Amino acid sequence: MSITSKLPMSYDQPVIRLENVTQRFRVIHERPDTMRELFSKMFRHNSSFHDFEAVKNASLEVTKGQALGIIGRNGSGKSTLLKIIAGVYRPTSGTVEVNGTLAPLIELGAGFHHELTGRENILLNGLLMGYSKREMQEREQSIIDFADIGEFIDAPVKQYSSGMYMRLAFSVATEVNPQILLVDEILAVGDIGFQEKCFERISKFREAGKTIVMVTHIMANLQRICERAVLIDHGSILVDSTPDEAVALYHNLMNVEVVAAH
Amino acid sequence: MTELIRDTYRYRELIWALALKELKIRYKRSVLGFMWALLNPAFMMLVLTLVFSSIMRFNIPHYAIFLLSVLLPWTFFSQSLSYAVEAIVTNGDLIKKVAVPKLVFPMAAVVSNIINLLLSLIPLALLVPLMRHPFYWTWIYLPVPLLALVIFTTGMTFFFAAANVYYRDVAHILQVVLSAWFYVTPIIYSIDMIPQRYRWIFKLNPIIYVINGFRLAVYYGQLPKAPSIIASFVCAFISLAIGFALFKKYQETFVYYV
Repeated sequence: MSITSKLPMSYDQPVIRLENVTQRFRVIHERPDTMRELFSKMFRHNSSFHDFEAVKNASLEVTKGQALGIIGRNGSGKSTLLKIIAGVYRPTSGTVEVNGTLAPLIELGAGFHHELTGRENILLNGLLMGYSKREMQEREQSIIDFADIGEFIDAPVKQYSSGMYMRLAFSVATEVNPQILLVDEILAVGDIGFQEKCFERISKFREAGKTIVMVTHIMANLQRICERAVLIDHGSILVDSTPDEAVALYHNLMNVEVVAAH
Repeated sequence: MTELIRDTYRYRELIWALALKELKIRYKRSVLGFMWALLNPAFMMLVLTLVFSSIMRFNIPHYAIFLLSVLLPWTFFSQSLSYAVEAIVTNGDLIKKVAVPKLVFPMAAVVSNIINLLLSLIPLALLVPLMRHPFYWTWIYLPVPLLALVIFTTGMTFFFAAANVYYRDVAHILQVVLSAWFYVTPIIYSIDMIPQRYRWIFKLNPIIYVINGFRLAVYYGQLPKAPSIIASFVCAFISLAIGFALFKKYQETFVYYV
């Protein structure tokens, strides 16, 4: 992987900018999946849904080269926020700006097809992420080298162990040399050796001046990789500070709830 | 419409890769593999030829060719729709995790079926001299109805793929629609068999013009008349305009329903 030369002047220009972003989901309790259910619903006049704001009025700027961690409880809106940045969701209101190529490591191997071989999946996954066939062919060998799964590269991925699957997926997602890396709780996978390799690669990304946004529940990972952290709760950004401070507040938040419950 | 052309071009490699994936998976783990794309229509032709030349005798000479000249394009149409109607739903997991242009999925279904259609024309081209049916020069006209058919089909796939995201009944309704549509379209019969005063009803069928082009070129060795060619393209572009407009309007919300 080439480490691009650092351009100091471009460091504080925001590569990700969210302004008053709200993401509303309609939670339908008993979704009419068929027309019959729809008609019966219409005649009974009961609208059994409620709107739920997974992200509320969030504003966030991430500058080039920053490593930002997002922490919060389950269901607090961390992953939704990441998916908004990734462009999977178009938010209900607010603006999103992303400058640079993204590598979403949101769910590794999401684009893999089980019947295709590892090699075939490298190309397909790369194309899905928006890279060209040529770019993928140029990187094929280094992707295979990093994944280090030997002969299995030409076997259908359904025969892979879950570790091998993750190795290949991580390798594809990061070897394409993105400018922004979005990581959603994936470092918990793989054996210790591979985890170290992943950390090493993420550190290299940092050194190369790339931007990282990661969601994590493992505070050690946060403190190891990130220089900045936001704590999110019920869809709102509570704190935007250093990892240590955010983690302290997160523990506080959890403690308050535990005490209140007693 | 410019957006459709631009995105199709931009994601051409992805559409092509998805279409090939579709075919690879269809023929994977079979000994003959890709040969089935040729053998399938070949065997179908063999059966049809046997049935209609010895068992059921029609007044139409070389009935197998009469039938196949339009049955193959029809198969392309119905197969593309059957694949594409599920295209967004089956890729739901992907759509929820990666920001991927949604139009590539129905497009890939159409492209993989274009490959199948082109392959199935090979055994038909072999059957023509085998049955001692004249091999007309009008075969070279086939790209024209083919283009109209692909445009027409693409529009329909956009419509059904989008609708099925919201109501899964659509996939089932489609099968009913397709089987009814098959019989009201002059595929197994000729429009000439329909009494003159009812023919106008048949002419409301938007696929009849393009189907007619295939039969004229392959079976009769004639070219369709200008109004018929124009009608086939008008229907094709209306289908595409409506289908894509709906698809485009709703594609941002697919992610919440898959």
